[in-house]
Amino acid sequence: MLEFQNFSFQYEEREENTLKDINLTIQDGEFVLLTGRSGCGKTTLMRSLNGLIPHFYPGKIQGDLRLNGESLLEMKPSELAGKIGTVFQDPRSQFFMTDTTRELAFGCENMGYERKETVKRVANSVKDLRLEEYLNRSIFALSSGEKQQIAIGSVYAMAPKLYIFDEPSANLDYDAAKRLAKTMKRLKEAGITVLVVEHRFYYLRDLIDRAVWIQDGSIMQVYTKNEFCNLNQQMRVSNGLRTVYPEKEINDQLSPAFIRENSEPQLSVSNLNYYYEKGKTVLSDLNFTAGKGDITGIVGHNGAGKTTLLSIMTGIMQEKYGEIRYQNKKLSAKKRRKLSYLVMQDTDYQLFGSSVEEELTLGIKELKKEKVSNTLDALELSEYKECHPASLSGGQKQRVTIGAAIMKESPIIYFDEPTSGLDYDSMIRVSGLIRELAKQGAIVFIVSHDFEFITRTCTRLLQLDENEASQNLSITEDTLKRLAEKYFN
Amino acid sequence: MEYITELIEKNIFCGTAVLDPRCKFLMLIFIGLASYFINGDLTGILLMAVLGIFISGGNGMKWAIKMMAVYLLISFLNTLLRYVAIHGLSVIMSVFGVTVLKIIPIVMAGRWILRTTCMDDLMVSLERAKMPQSVTIPMVVMFRYIPTLGIEYRMIRNTMQIRGICDTFWKKLLHPLTTIEYILIPLLMRCLKVTDELAASGTTRGLERVNKRYALHVVHFGMKEYAVMAGTVLFLGGMVFLDQTSIGTISLWR
Repeated sequence: MLEFQNFSFQYEEREENTLKDINLTIQDGEFVLLTGRSGCGKTTLMRSLNGLIPHFYPGKIQGDLRLNGESLLEMKPSELAGKIGTVFQDPRSQFFMTDTTRELAFGCENMGYERKETVKRVANSVKDLRLEEYLNRSIFALSSGEKQQIAIGSVYAMAPKLYIFDEPSANLDYDAAKRLAKTMKRLKEAGITVLVVEHRFYYLRDLIDRAVWIQDGSIMQVYTKNEFCNLNQQMRVSNGLRTVYPEKEINDQLSPAFIRENSEPQLSVSNLNYYYEKGKTVLSDLNFTAGKGDITGIVGHNGAGKTTLLSIMTGIMQEKYGEIRYQNKKLSAKKRRKLSYLVMQDTDYQLFGSSVEEELTLGIKELKKEKVSNTLDALELSEYKECHPASLSGGQKQRVTIGAAIMKESPIIYFDEPTSGLDYDSMIRVSGLIRELAKQGAIVFIVSHDFEFITRTCTRLLQLDENEASQNLSITEDTLKRLAEKYFN
Repeated sequence: MEYITELIEKNIFCGTAVLDPRCKFLMLIFIGLASYFINGDLTGILLMAVLGIFISGGNGMKWAIKMMAVYLLISFLNTLLRYVAIHGLSVIMSVFGVTVLKIIPIVMAGRWILRTTCMDDLMVSLERAKMPQSVTIPMVVMFRYIPTLGIEYRMIRNTMQIRGICDTFWKKLLHPLTTIEYILIPLLMRCLKVTDELAASGTTRGLERVNKRYALHVVHFGMKEYAVMAGTVLFLGGMVFLDQTSIGTISLWR
């Protein structure tokens, strides 16, 4: 049993408590979802459980936190290691070893188990979580979903009785999320207590026992599974929560004003082919068109070639065969680089300037002061214009990179997973911004796994894992229903 | 289950690559010293050849051939350009040629060690050598981070190209410092973030625990390692000695 007793926490550098008087009891074997807006204190709650608070992030603690009667506050993270397992958000930066087998064994080796014992535990983990195919591979050759499975496996080998997941689906596609749900189900069936911090929780709907809604550092409401899954829409939106059933709300989100007639194609791609090695084609004979104001959602499973397509379209890579035309002129890779802008999933790679204002003006030849301030206003960033981009929050950083796209006046803008790790409000805001860009005449492409976001934002769909007839479609109720079926059944 | 256990215990490296990491590191130090003292053409090539054969016996054949070719090319150019003056190139070669030749054996052995050492073997062997955690943990993080740096660098360069920041040769040439700054800042930001997350992930999995570690392979400085060490010292000592005799003055390229 895990108990928070009047638990409060204040980070050393903050003036206010981040967690305020938390009282919560979690029974053994329970599956609990912790959710709420960005910055509400979910992550802090998680850190106080695995010992990172106060040993890694110092601060002032009040109240108590007990696991099976023992206070966790006096224990160091290293003492908690075999008791509480944590799977973090970004699978790329969790790995200590360079190959998968050793990563699985890492925790056990730290615990000081003898060789035989470690091998036995790792083998067990591989067998229970079906990880055979990943053994003895380089960490760098795995997809996000595969990395996550290894991260879970590594914790599993240490056999803790309590698991904490921090936004585990943020970097995953639908298939990987399905697999994650399956793995979590196995944990639940084995009687393990699971706490999941998450914004996008549709994949947990069959697993949760309770859901805790946190706001401004306090627990506002604890829902049972039924209550949570049947929250009315108004209530859900005012609480800033994502939907549990993205496929059921297609009609509500699909605004009729945005179902467009086929627009005049400006950008056309014909017979696009790409392969990394001969014989292993990634993209074969891809054809599609897009016009001004079109927002095309690019979907497909991991490895279907979404990232490759983006790299070719933005001119980072050269196509093997095929043609890309804009306003009927053939585009070379260099011209494509000039015309396009890519908002990456990881904004850290994209911020170069020493202030937000400088960031927006980098690489621009003719500078218009007025335009900079208008853009800053439109993105609600004016008050931060002197700040260093690195000091902003994730959502704000993303808006800065969108601002740079507006400044560059690129006619074609690409987004790579713009909603990963965003809460409901930020998702709505990004959706609005992208629609605004399109309204002003930009051609937009979005690679996304986020069904709710695609429904809200896109006007067309490019399905890389479909045959040619249904590859490039306008978004209607019908196309969305078919996509939903693929994703959720 | 047996099949899985077999896979886990399987060593992906063979031959000289499975030597104890301590042995490999000591070898690297001795090779560095010998390379510093050896000046002759013939002795240098002999050192490279023997080292190449040694590495080829442990998952490093391709790499050894590549480095050997580079070595021969530079050694040849080094002599050639002393007699045939090519404007500019001759000066560069006379300044850097010898230094590069001395570094090549070290790079060759260094990267081979990086590629063929399992990280847990490294941690265990350092611990057995009585290194404190404050040395072993940064070392392991470094080992892990070197391959990542290349990936991060490419990501940043791609973005710079799309945004039109220092994307052409001229811009780079005219503003070398700005270019470096624009590459370094995101790289450092990523480093900070990754090290923070890496530390959190390691800590929650017991990295800081003080107890005896066991790797997936048996790590042992045994007879094989002593024999290799003795062989290395004898061979390198012999080479340094030969280099002092008339053999060291033989010029290969005429």
